[in-house]
Amino acid sequence: MQQPIEQPVGSPVEQLDTPALLVDVAKLDAAAAALVEPCRIEVWLHNTPAIALRQLAVAEGKAVGIAVRGVAEAEVFAAAGCGDIRILRPLVTAASERRAAALAGKARIVTADDGVPLAGADGLTAAVSVSARVTSTPEPQRAITDCGQKAIGRDFGDPRVIGHPSCRASAGSAEHGVITWSAGEHPFAVGDWLQMAPADVATAFALHDFAYGIEAGRLAAVWRISGRGLFQ
Amino acid sequence: MNPAATPAPDAGANSAPAIGTPLAEVETPQLVIDLDALAHNIAVIADHYRGKHIRLRPHGKNHKSPQILAMQIAAGGTVGGVCAAKVSEAEVFANAGAGNVLLANQVVDAAKIKRLAAIAKRVDTIVAVDHPAQLPRLAAGATALDASIGVVIEIDTMMRRGGVRQIADAVALAKQVAATPGLRFRGLMSHQVPTVRPPTRAQRFAEGGRYIERVLAAKAAIENAGLAVDIVSTGETWTYDVAATYPEVTEIEGGSYVVMEVPYAYMEEFRFAARVLGRVVQRLDDRRALGDVPIDAIGAPNGPPTVDGPAGLVVEGIDHHGVVLASDGPMPLAIGDCFSLLTHQQDITMNRWERYLGVRAGVVEAIIDAPARGCVH
Repeated sequence: MQQPIEQPVGSPVEQLDTPALLVDVAKLDAAAAALVEPCRIEVWLHNTPAIALRQLAVAEGKAVGIAVRGVAEAEVFAAAGCGDIRILRPLVTAASERRAAALAGKARIVTADDGVPLAGADGLTAAVSVSARVTSTPEPQRAITDCGQKAIGRDFGDPRVIGHPSCRASAGSAEHGVITWSAGEHPFAVGDWLQMAPADVATAFALHDFAYGIEAGRLAAVWRISGRGLFQ
Repeated sequence: MNPAATPAPDAGANSAPAIGTPLAEVETPQLVIDLDALAHNIAVIADHYRGKHIRLRPHGKNHKSPQILAMQIAAGGTVGGVCAAKVSEAEVFANAGAGNVLLANQVVDAAKIKRLAAIAKRVDTIVAVDHPAQLPRLAAGATALDASIGVVIEIDTMMRRGGVRQIADAVALAKQVAATPGLRFRGLMSHQVPTVRPPTRAQRFAEGGRYIERVLAAKAAIENAGLAVDIVSTGETWTYDVAATYPEVTEIEGGSYVVMEVPYAYMEEFRFAARVLGRVVQRLDDRRALGDVPIDAIGAPNGPPTVDGPAGLVVEGIDHHGVVLASDGPMPLAIGDCFSLLTHQQDITMNRWERYLGVRAGVVEAIIDAPARGCVH
């Protein structure tokens, strides 16, 4: 699995090895503060218990609990202390029903629509980015980065280059990002650091094992994406 | 500043069935490897290269698993090492005993170059370059550890990704590498995909041959400049047999052939060896059902997956909550029934799973770990 980036808390974000999944903590908190009572936070979008607990704390009194997709994700969030969990996917096997029943002592498990609105990706999307580095500029108006589909995803479309509206992030490939721009501009050279916005945050979280909380441009926390890949 | 504490693992895992469990009884979804098809695919290239000059450099990015690499090397016809796309991926394979490493990518930041140099202290390690700005960075990392890093020039023939565009620039870059302390010039690498899809065999040989000859033209130009070219690493699954007809090509970087993918079906000698197994969790109407395979369990950058069974079903849609299967006639699957999906991009799919189920004759025979999954650094 992916190894965590070893950097001291307080390090400038540019010093984190690329690509890194970055979460702007202020924007994350603002999104949670803007939630409307009552709601369930769709934590399967990030599958990160530390983020879920933070969202629940900020939205205390408004969020009644969380929503996950399957029983394996429910196990992770129940173990982390989430006390009210709706499992969105129907449980159709005896094994999954047993696993859900085994969580009853830790959390209230809801397996049917309880009428509580789901709070989805809207605010989370604004908080998430993936860092990248230019590894080559092999021809004019084109940069190759280390942030390809395996680091940012393309299941729902191409990413966007943050802060460079005139640059285009084309399809890229599994291991490489490709950024192009118009003649006359000179935005990137070999070694440059940049940030990309994923087309779909849930895909980005599904690719990484660690997310990095960033406050004022510096590393504030390392979070394990413990529910990643737990599809059952 | 305080050290960043690495968070402890939490509870939770995909359930791994006991060896001997019938496939129909495993919890879903699962990434299932057909062990017979896997062994067949590995044998195709091993048999084709037996007694020939050319070698396979197995690409680790496609399976992320030292267990599968060991099968490839044991079958013969390989360089005895691995190809990797990322430094952290190369570390996993080097730590597992790969005899040599070709990092088929550019590495420019000091942290990764330090790790690359550390691998080079232990096993023969080669990295690809395509720009003069990369050389002083690599040299600084290599000399700091008193390491020697091999270098190949990446030649672009059609991808417009990394790679030197002009042969004259490749010659100049090769000379610079040869003059740089800590680096050793070793040769050339290149990667291509076919523009005609699916190509006929004649089209494969014509197009693939054209790219290989472009790389060989760069080889000749560099040799004319007085440098020895030990390695010509070009060709992959769709040109493994094309490359073998060129005596100057020393190795191909082969990966897709191991488990295959739908767009490569024209390579008929290889079999589909990876499937995502799912179950129906809901009947939507008479002819449609919802399956428990979310898009993030298979990935779909090249389009949605294809149903491999039961026959007659198609994927109508797929998102983070599951896959909608549709039938021309009445939906044959009831809630709880299994289906399997084939990917349109195998390395994207394999990279979503920490572990695969190795299955033969409908029974789980092995758990295959993929410790290089997610190694993006």
